[in-house]
Amino acid sequence: MDGMYILSKDHLRSFLRKINKANRLVAPIVNRHGDTLFSVIDDLDYAPYEFNQQSQNGIKSFFFPQQETIATYSSQDGDYSFTAPSDEPEPTVYFGVRSCDLMAIMHMDDVFMGEIKDQQYMAKRQQAILIGLNCNHPFENCFCNATKSGPFLGSGFDLQFTDQGDNYLVQVGREKGAALLKQWNQFFTPASEEQIQNQYQLSLEAMANFQLNVHADQAIQRLQNGQVPEEIWQSLSLRCQDCGGCAFICPTCTCFTIVDRKLSADHGIRLRNWDACTFSGFTRMAGGHNPVHHKTQSIKQRFMHKLCHDVKEHGSPSCVGCGRCVDICFGGVDIVRFIKMAGED
Amino acid sequence: MEHILTTCVYCGCGCGVYLQVENNQVTGSLPSRNHPVSRNNLCVKGWQLHDFIHHPDRLTEPLMRKDGELVPVSWDEALDFTAKELTRIRDASNNKGLGVLSSAKCTNEENFLLQKFTRAVLKTNNIDHCARL
Amino acid sequence: MTNSINEIEEAEVILATGSNTSEAHPQIARRMMTAVDKGAKLLVIDPRRTRLTELADVHLQIQPGSDIPLMNGMMRIILDESLADRMFIEMRTENFEALQEMLNKIDLAEVERITGVPLAEIRKAAILYARARRAVICYCLGITQHVAGTKNVQTIANLAMLTGNVEKEFTGVDPLRGQNNVQGACDMGALPNVYPGYQKVDDIACREKFSKAWCTELDPAPGLTLLDMTHSGANGPMKGMFIMGENPVLSDPLLDKVEETLSNLEFLAVADIFLTETAQFAHVVFPAASFAEKGGTFTNTERRVQMVRPAIAPIADCRTDSEIISEISTRMGYPMSYESSTEIMEEIALLTPIYGGIIHQRLGGDKWGLQWPCPDQNHPGTPFLHKHYFTRGKGHFIPGEHTPPVEPPCEDFPFFLNTGRVYHHYHTGTMTRKSEALNRESNQALLQVHPDDAKRLQIREGDILCVASRRGAIQIPAQITHAVAPGSVYTSFHFSETPVNRLTIDTQDPIAKCPEYKVCAVRIEKAP
Repeated sequence: MDGMYILSKDHLRSFLRKINKANRLVAPIVNRHGDTLFSVIDDLDYAPYEFNQQSQNGIKSFFFPQQETIATYSSQDGDYSFTAPSDEPEPTVYFGVRSCDLMAIMHMDDVFMGEIKDQQYMAKRQQAILIGLNCNHPFENCFCNATKSGPFLGSGFDLQFTDQGDNYLVQVGREKGAALLKQWNQFFTPASEEQIQNQYQLSLEAMANFQLNVHADQAIQRLQNGQVPEEIWQSLSLRCQDCGGCAFICPTCTCFTIVDRKLSADHGIRLRNWDACTFSGFTRMAGGHNPVHHKTQSIKQRFMHKLCHDVKEHGSPSCVGCGRCVDICFGGVDIVRFIKMAGED
Repeated sequence: MEHILTTCVYCGCGCGVYLQVENNQVTGSLPSRNHPVSRNNLCVKGWQLHDFIHHPDRLTEPLMRKDGELVPVSWDEALDFTAKELTRIRDASNNKGLGVLSSAKCTNEENFLLQKFTRAVLKTNNIDHCARL
Repeated sequence: MTNSINEIEEAEVILATGSNTSEAHPQIARRMMTAVDKGAKLLVIDPRRTRLTELADVHLQIQPGSDIPLMNGMMRIILDESLADRMFIEMRTENFEALQEMLNKIDLAEVERITGVPLAEIRKAAILYARARRAVICYCLGITQHVAGTKNVQTIANLAMLTGNVEKEFTGVDPLRGQNNVQGACDMGALPNVYPGYQKVDDIACREKFSKAWCTELDPAPGLTLLDMTHSGANGPMKGMFIMGENPVLSDPLLDKVEETLSNLEFLAVADIFLTETAQFAHVVFPAASFAEKGGTFTNTERRVQMVRPAIAPIADCRTDSEIISEISTRMGYPMSYESSTEIMEEIALLTPIYGGIIHQRLGGDKWGLQWPCPDQNHPGTPFLHKHYFTRGKGHFIPGEHTPPVEPPCEDFPFFLNTGRVYHHYHTGTMTRKSEALNRESNQALLQVHPDDAKRLQIREGDILCVASRRGAIQIPAQITHAVAPGSVYTSFHFSETPVNRLTIDTQDPIAKCPEYKVCAVRIEKAP
């Protein structure tokens, strides 16, 4: 099935119940503490269906957990053998994924399923169905318009939903989405010409609904030309409180470190842990030398990577404008502040 | 993946942190946005709150000193021996020879219980914790 | 704290003293940063330079242990400049005359000499603090871990009352509690002289109340304090001990004495999550469940009682501390069978007036705990204390005079040693040092030495130093830094490889019983 369809909001719950039979269901749910988190829905009857809060986490950790066992190892006579974990990931439908997070998954796919295939990431990715939800009303700290990763997206999803009041307009992206639609076709009717036109209208309105005004292009250009004054890096780095939160919450940050934990004299486990480029240990070499001066340069490499290196490498910044690092930062050293400072004359 | 809201153990600020749980393993930590202290931030320790929980050095079974070495024993053996020794010393010292250190890292309920045990069972007020250290 | 953490953001002036807030209380430092962004003035009293002093408008880099002369000096200036809040003093306080008499005798030149801080700086801080409409003082162990700890605190209270900076929102005196549930452990009566809720064991009415509730006779005499117990020695009163989740073999002063005590006990049981330095002395070690494996509550520094929730079942064969205590108690003929921590909290509420309205059901959901005092179940909790009146009635000025540290530097031990915490680790490192991520950032203690001293002693960065006090010696790598003043050195106590509490002095404040961790005299030399 191709093209555009309509799902009545009245039947969303029942549609989700159907797909929940064969899949785990993950959606951005407001929990009983008032926080909005992408979580596994275990009780469809009690899950709220108002998707009007930005999820505090992306879906990164479902594919690339903060801590993950990537192998068990054993040693015999100095030879090490490694065994990958055997557990099969569950088929999972991610519902209500915003364009920033979909773009982020495309970016992560580049990293983990490009030249080098990361088996664990790939296994989870292959079991995933991504159902997007366009942003009619971008959230407080959003600036995906500046990073060209939203608020409406043309690809990167299996199905894409757009809120049209009483209905969702449903767009098919990839094969998995088409199959799902076909399997549960009783829920969907073809969209009218007017409804398809409305989609375009909503996307224009969404562009006008951003609360922030961020000029990433200018900052990117100045970064590329080496025109960002050192004082900016210094003032930002001094405010950085070394928590690593910006990298952890960022949906495109994929740096990790590997540690081995001994379970006995001859066997143990190998873990992969999220890492943050702002940590001094990230760049410190054996012997103690650190090419990055922590207090004045720790932020520089981060923003260079996000806004400069990745533009050269992939053609687009690896900042998707989700704005989560704005809120997460202890010291107020977020990328929006930087873009503003770097863009000023 | 489940998110369980709990309270950070790493300082007196008391941030609200979600522990991320998958297959009975804690795999990550995430701040609560609504919590009045954390307000969507954690310090470096808070972000690593999950890191020690499954560490292989965790104690996993009761130990008792036998022939100078700490060796694994059953819960019953460890508990019986402890009850016997505490009773013996309490009675032999006329309630003066036992001391208890409670913990600024344990819960209120555990602290309450331990001071109750000390006062009601060990019959002494020799209980303290490292509040001043 | 008399205030709530979030109130700090709204202060006009923040005076942080004896607190390395950025490293030890990051969320409170964040509130200070926000306040500074909004235009607040930050005054920091610290013998060291820290991340916080970098942000400060005024950094009073005092000589260790000279807090009282400094604050008395500030108060004298405030009086001289007629900036005291006469109305507040008149209406809300008593014994001001005694303070005034003492302050009038102060020689400000002498203050400058003792504290090592230029008088102009002291004056600037005093005037800023006194002129503020909303001023908060945050203090921590840098104030209390002195032989004059109690007097230091009283002097802070004098300063706040002199200027009327109490009893209002965004205004007050805030001791920052270090450990996650140190407030709660005190509230719960894990102290030798009080039952839960600070009800005194030597008060007949209190004792009868608990005796009746627990159906048993109770000892009327206050017990031994922590250091009385751990320093009991080979022939002291301690014959057996039970230690739950503490590690005195790293945290207490005079470690040799602690080890002597523990190794001579007839019986030692330890319940912990790792085989700590202390557990290695035990006859029985119980594997305890971690915070992620049990329910209950912690009380934070702003007196907020909040839920701890089990994320997973206890790993392996671990049990919660509550189960362990209940089992032992039952086997000693005093049955305890609580079905959950919720039931224990109900007993706490019944017996503890300040927790009277606190039950688990009120703490969860979209509620974020309750701040005690919370006397009944309709009470909303208390975000700030002493609203419109002091708990004891009127605020009482207790003039304090300079009490120098007991062990000043001398010819043989020419350096001040100060000890504290680092950002990446927590207390004795039992938990944080199991995190590879945190260890990578910080995996050893360093002795901070001022460049002038380093040059004189020909010490280079990373040199292994032998640091010795009258009580012991350790070896530790050097860090050459302006963070410490000339003549002072500093390190942290998290690391078992460099147990700095072999060096620290066990002299305690006579009232609060805090050891003087912040000052002792050492000598340093390059290790052979």
